[in-house]
Amino acid sequence: MLIGNALILSNGIARLIIEVIVIFIFIVFFDYMFGWLERKTIAKAQFRHGPTYVGKFGLFQNLADIIKLLAKENVMPSTADRLVFSAAPPLLLALIIFLVYMLPFSNTLGISISLGLLAVFVLLSFAPLMLFLIGASSGNKFSAISAQRSVIMSLSYEIPLLLAVAGVALYAGSFNITNIVNLQAHMPFIVLMPIGFFVFFVAMLAELERPPFDLREADSELIAGWLVDVGSPYYAIALFVDYTRMFLGSLLISLLFLSGWIGPYLPQVIWLLIKAFIVAIVIVVIRATTVRMRIDRLMRFGWFWLLPLSIFNIILTFLLFVR
Amino acid sequence: MLTKINVGPIHPSTHGVLRLVVTLDGDTIVNVEPHIGFLHRGVEKLAENRMYMQNESYMEKIDYAAPMAYSDLYVAALEEAMGIQTKERAKYVRLILLEFQRIASHLLWLGTFCNDLGQMFTMFMWTMKDRDLILNLLQDVTGSRMFYVNMRLGGVSIDLPPNFEEHAKKLLDYLEKRLKEYEVYLEKNPIFIERTKNVGTLKRNDAIELGVTGPVLRASGVNFDVRRDYSYYVYDKLHFIPQVQTRGDVFARYRVRMLEMRESIKLIRDALKSMPEGDALGMPVKLISPPVKESEVKVRRELPRGEGMIFMVADKQRPYRLSIRAPAFINLSSLRQIAIGERYADLFAILGSLDLVMADVDR
Repeated sequence: MLIGNALILSNGIARLIIEVIVIFIFIVFFDYMFGWLERKTIAKAQFRHGPTYVGKFGLFQNLADIIKLLAKENVMPSTADRLVFSAAPPLLLALIIFLVYMLPFSNTLGISISLGLLAVFVLLSFAPLMLFLIGASSGNKFSAISAQRSVIMSLSYEIPLLLAVAGVALYAGSFNITNIVNLQAHMPFIVLMPIGFFVFFVAMLAELERPPFDLREADSELIAGWLVDVGSPYYAIALFVDYTRMFLGSLLISLLFLSGWIGPYLPQVIWLLIKAFIVAIVIVVIRATTVRMRIDRLMRFGWFWLLPLSIFNIILTFLLFVR
Repeated sequence: MLTKINVGPIHPSTHGVLRLVVTLDGDTIVNVEPHIGFLHRGVEKLAENRMYMQNESYMEKIDYAAPMAYSDLYVAALEEAMGIQTKERAKYVRLILLEFQRIASHLLWLGTFCNDLGQMFTMFMWTMKDRDLILNLLQDVTGSRMFYVNMRLGGVSIDLPPNFEEHAKKLLDYLEKRLKEYEVYLEKNPIFIERTKNVGTLKRNDAIELGVTGPVLRASGVNFDVRRDYSYYVYDKLHFIPQVQTRGDVFARYRVRMLEMRESIKLIRDALKSMPEGDALGMPVKLISPPVKESEVKVRRELPRGEGMIFMVADKQRPYRLSIRAPAFINLSSLRQIAIGERYADLFAILGSLDLVMADVDR
């Protein structure tokens, strides 16, 4: 009896460890390939070649960049709050990676918890807070403005984001992401609630700090926003954060609206990764084509467009499907 | 609480080495103080120590985005001092080259302007590609890509090559198509409209009092263009309408430049059609100067950035004193008037819409 329990327990632990390793490999694979694809896509849009020299098609360029960034000296500004400034980027990275672990990757891989959806979005709202901490603690005025923008941004898109998710949960009658995906076996939610998808996609763009909502690190205004004084190794962490956040965002979009891992012939995990990559490339193409929004306009856009739309979406979902 | 921010001289959106000390109240601009002079080379003083035709290459470096316009301005001042008439064909050749230069300059502006609005480098690369084709054409004529030094007293150094007309027409068709694409691409984008319309308005009276010229002035509703009002070369013979907008905001300035490129294309086509045969070559460069007829001359030209003026006190072999009215410098002085009360993010849209070249400002 005791030995049997121990066996099940050790079996569970072994499975857990394997899953942790596999998902981490997914994260690193996506981050690396996305970094390369983004550079190539943007280059294609701009009549350039992108990275070509390091490796075939410049595949190892990002690796070379990471090595360069990690080998450089870390410079910390004297005006910075040392503790917060050095602790916040790794904490942010840990938060984002943890969030990826909270998502299921197929019916068997990854965890499936009953309040998974709620937990992901509650924890996700801590990310702007971390960005605020980095910006405010660096002692640079551009970073300080970036920190202010961080707060204003999260005020303007968090509520529509959560309401769009509420529409999904309302239809599915569950907060369990595995259930939500399996409900989309015949019809992905993008067809059932296009308005909800639009709101969610736009709010996710803002959450991921992608143009036209890259207000926190606005290149042409704030130089790099919260990244202005971030030293080289920490900048590598920030890049890792950026790409992992991209992974998280495109996973969430494909899980909640694009029927997640459901698809013919290929294994479920592969389908999910393919969908995540496609969503990520769409976001990159948007980056290549739009100009940046202004912060007060974003606030107005969030409260006067996204919020009514998301409420309308909930009402419509309730009337059409739930009642 | 007021915040003071130092923008530049090293900043992605200050187009060179402009330093702005910006006072912010929250997100609203209370004051902007431009600090200039980082690129001051004393061109006006240098010109006093060189022979007349040696100065031309110095003049081109004043505005590296439209060098030929400046060399034309200087040579025109010299021609007036010497009492030399420009040859009839040379007038057409100069006009064609200058209008190509204007299109190239405006294309460069369009790219950097979109960069300032946060559309990082896509538009920039596209317009640079088109500008490159113009530079190739100018290279066919003059032999160099950036600093041409093609203007000579009474004419040009090298006449247009035999296949120029064919190449130019092909390029103009291509540019017209591209400009239409850019217009659709930008003006159908609601965020672009939002970022430019009713932002950074310069009223008509303020524009006149501040002395701004060129597209910035015409965007504020003042119908003034040196090419028409103080016509030179053959601008009065060709069909040419200055482009005027009334709103005076960033979008109006964008629109004026877009329409001006169209107008330039039309001008070049007209000029190519009616260009006479003959000789366009000017006097070869001689260190010994020709005799000076007038001792004080003032010449004005419509440069891509506005009205450029040279006041020259001529001496026997070199200018005794040379004074340049740089359009970008005067246009920069209107920044404060425009930017106060606007949002911080719009400061860069406004700055981009003024089309500054810091070498031109600092001289």
